[in-house]
Amino acid sequence: MTDIEVLNYVKASATALGLSLDEARTQRVALHLARTATLARQLETLPLGISDEPAEIYCPLPFHPSLDGRKTR
Amino acid sequence: MKAAVPRSAGLVRAIATGELSAVEALEASIARIEATDGRVNAFTGKSYERARREAGAVDAMRARGETLPPLAGLPYAVKNLFDIEGVVTLAGSRINRGQAPATADAFLVQRLKAAGAVLVGALNMDEYAYGFTTENSHYGPCHNPHDLNRIAGGSSGGSGAAVAAQQVPLALGSDTNGSIRVPASLCGVWGLKPTFGRLSRRGSYPFVHSIDHLGPFADSVEGLALAYDVLQSPDPLDPACHALRVQPVSGSLRLGVEGLRVGLLGGYFFENATPPAREVVMAAARILGATDLVEWPDPALARAAAFIISASEGGALHLDDLRTRPDDFEPLSVDRFIAGALQPAAWYVRAQRFRRLYRDKVNALFSNWDVLLAPATPVSAPLIGTEWLDIHGQQQPCRPAMGLLTQPVSFAGCPVVAAPMWPAGTGGMPLGVQVIAAPWREDLALQAAMVLQQSGVAHLKEVEL
Repeated sequence: MTDIEVLNYVKASATALGLSLDEARTQRVALHLARTATLARQLETLPLGISDEPAEIYCPLPFHPSLDGRKTR
Repeated sequence: MKAAVPRSAGLVRAIATGELSAVEALEASIARIEATDGRVNAFTGKSYERARREAGAVDAMRARGETLPPLAGLPYAVKNLFDIEGVVTLAGSRINRGQAPATADAFLVQRLKAAGAVLVGALNMDEYAYGFTTENSHYGPCHNPHDLNRIAGGSSGGSGAAVAAQQVPLALGSDTNGSIRVPASLCGVWGLKPTFGRLSRRGSYPFVHSIDHLGPFADSVEGLALAYDVLQSPDPLDPACHALRVQPVSGSLRLGVEGLRVGLLGGYFFENATPPAREVVMAAARILGATDLVEWPDPALARAAAFIISASEGGALHLDDLRTRPDDFEPLSVDRFIAGALQPAAWYVRAQRFRRLYRDKVNALFSNWDVLLAPATPVSAPLIGTEWLDIHGQQQPCRPAMGLLTQPVSFAGCPVVAAPMWPAGTGGMPLGVQVIAAPWREDLALQAAMVLQQSGVAHLKEVEL
């Protein structure tokens, strides 16, 4: 992204999230986001397949090996 | 003023044998805090009334002839993101001042209380843990006890400084990207970042749910191990607490490193280290018999992913306040929080997908190695207000660069002991070494750390304040 594109992105996405940024803050945030974009581009070079799932952060219930098949009462 | 509080393990023994009362130990700690904290600024709150109650209870138990719990009478303090019953949990912020006081202690504070430790107060930190320097604009910067003009590191800067200043022998902190290891390195104290999911985070104010860890700082390896054994407990109420049982380490601390495969991390960890950082890790390698250079998998990508996830989760967590009261945030980090909140979802998801592959690579590395060594920080403590660091001719923004060497390791969730070392060429300032083990092998990292302590290369130094 060019500097102008980053600025435009910051303005548009801030509006979408309901964040009110003055011009000076918009510039500073754009600078930070541009640095992060460089890091994101490094990750883009990594080949990922469709089966490469995100690291898990949600578990509905700890796995219980004795619950094999239909529950009996 | 010279330090007055004895080292943790000796202090616990002295109280257990009746050589010293818990109240005497506490009053020595309070006297030290009162005499020095005007210059260090480690504390943001003091809980002396509670501490005197807790110390009195320990002495009463002893008077009744009861067996004392393992940390009976040991004074400690906690980063101010831990809930303390009846106290507002600031998390380094001005915004949180308006919240209600905590109705219960954080889980780890409960564990220490049950073990007889005595809570003397809450400690300074970067706002919402988003920083490596504890240059807190609301509560003032935390000063490094070894040179008051320099940073203590962060985000648990108050925790590192309070132990270094010998105000308390034990402190608790949090570590998402290096926030225990960086201040331990810069203040010259021992720190332990346990395995991700080892210790319950219940009752602590979060920064990045998917990476946050909690852990202790101490004045000795024995102190770290004593505290760590007490802090361990499964906690089904913390969804990220994966430990199903306690695995004590104190009994195996002195097993040494014979038979352990110890390696020295090269590549990224060497390139991003200045000469003093290289010197301390080489010294540690000599003591531990590490001769082989080891390549950690994808460290730069791991740092990038940890950076993106931290910014995104941190920004999202505070989005409501960023909308309504951005001027009440820390000026040094508010723009980073906003930038994080604006990151495209694809960046975040890709970083989390990378993390799963990364875990496999790091775990595979530990099939060949037991303990790996790396510097904890690229440099010793910079002056407060430093904006840029020169690392081998590359200008790096100082505040994020302090985590260059810690971020890839915590992103894998590995346990790390930060060992306090003292290189030449830093004007007497410390610089720590990371002693890294495979997930759930805190015992091995602590055994290697113990060897470093016994050899005399890693230790605390007294400060005159």
